[in-house]
Amino acid sequence: MTVGGWNEAAEELNAIVASFDDGEVSVDDLIVKLARATEIIEALDARLVATRATVDELAPRIARVATDDE
Amino acid sequence: MTDASVTDERQIIDVGEFYELVTVHLESAFGRRHPRWVRGEVSKVYEKTHLYLDLVDAGSSESDAKRPVLNAHCWASQWNALKRRITSDGVSLRPGAVVNLFGFVDVYAPSGRLGFTVLDVDVAGLLGDVTRRRLELIGRLRDEGLLDANRSRPLSPVPLRVGLVASRQTEGFSDFTGQLLRSAFSFEIILANTSVQGEAAPALLEAAIKRLDQEELDVICVVRGGGSRGDLACFDDERVARAIAGARTPVFTGIGHTGDESVADLVAHTRAITPTKLGEDLVSMVHEWRRRHVTLPARTINDAAVSLLDEASVFLGERRRTMIFAVRDRLRAEARHLAAVREHLSIGARHVLERATQWLESSRLLVVAYDPQRRLAQGWSIVTTMDGAVVRRVADVRRGDTVAVRVVDGVLQATITSDERTEL
Repeated sequence: MTVGGWNEAAEELNAIVASFDDGEVSVDDLIVKLARATEIIEALDARLVATRATVDELAPRIARVATDDE
Repeated sequence: MTDASVTDERQIIDVGEFYELVTVHLESAFGRRHPRWVRGEVSKVYEKTHLYLDLVDAGSSESDAKRPVLNAHCWASQWNALKRRITSDGVSLRPGAVVNLFGFVDVYAPSGRLGFTVLDVDVAGLLGDVTRRRLELIGRLRDEGLLDANRSRPLSPVPLRVGLVASRQTEGFSDFTGQLLRSAFSFEIILANTSVQGEAAPALLEAAIKRLDQEELDVICVVRGGGSRGDLACFDDERVARAIAGARTPVFTGIGHTGDESVADLVAHTRAITPTKLGEDLVSMVHEWRRRHVTLPARTINDAAVSLLDEASVFLGERRRTMIFAVRDRLRAEARHLAAVREHLSIGARHVLERATQWLESSRLLVVAYDPQRRLAQGWSIVTTMDGAVVRRVADVRRGDTVAVRVVDGVLQATITSDERTEL
């Protein structure tokens, strides 16, 4: 099952967490939902790591422009 | 009475005494304690430490040998301060200038000359005519709506293509271009090299401004370093003012030094007090544009990127922890439930076992109670045929049969000799 865009995935993750909070999840569902939540978290984390790497590469270049006046 | 006697009666004084007498009389009326203002036109000027100048009546002809001349001088102790003030007023004492001098009479006996020691100089008279003409020009320009004409021209927010009206050899040129070249911005300077003082300057300045106005420029800068009011007079010229006012390109001026304001400054789009300041202002404009449209957005983007990443990291971290805790809690709850069930089952099983054990014991006791051995010990015996069949009834045997009689400690053989049935 694929993981959608960040906001879509975050909403799905929130829904899973909320269902846990409600305590309505059966043990069978627990495994399914935990597996799905793990899949989403890993996908989002991978995106975050990749994005942070890009930002880390670009930020010094932007910072040089942003601090030219100082 | 002879001539000699007459001569003797006269009060004869020598030359020195004469000059002393004259000096006393002059000083009593025009001396140091009675200084006066004298107005005149400068005919000659000579300065070497002290200032020497000849003053004549304004408008008198030089060919008039009989015109009165006042030999004035200003000693260095007085002149240095006066010179600074006069210079700051933008005026110089040149032949032809009409000036009011404040001072007193002195007599220099060795040359027999009457002199005038200057204490102060009033240049208002000098400025009067120039000021009047200047005000008239400003009035005309205002009436024609030309004072604000160039100021209404749209100005590029990034004025990098700069037309420059200046003299290449002047400090004003160097000061202005130095600011632009040191700025690290890619200013493009198109120079219209021209004279910036003298009688020919107004026409040259007018032509230079008009020529640059034909180029596609962001701004035209008219630049000239400090000088006397006379040096800067070309910037009060009507031709220059009209060229600036009529230009479609915004014209900036950086003329003279602090305090000078020419008509060119008045009609210009923007005026800076010096060429250096004008250069700084242009650089500041570009710098400000860059700050607003490049630097600040870059800073915002950088901050937003970092903030967004941090926010996303916090979100993921929280969700990860929440998931772990939620699953752990859920599993613990299930484990507790299972443990409770197991406990319940355990207790139930124990009860079943106990009941079974009791039943078994009862059975065992019952079995024990029916143990034949115990009956045999009590005196009961078991009779069987020789082939092992239990003899329960009289009819099971016949007289003469041999039977086995089992007692507690062994087996007896007996022969049936009689039988007698009893009623049950």
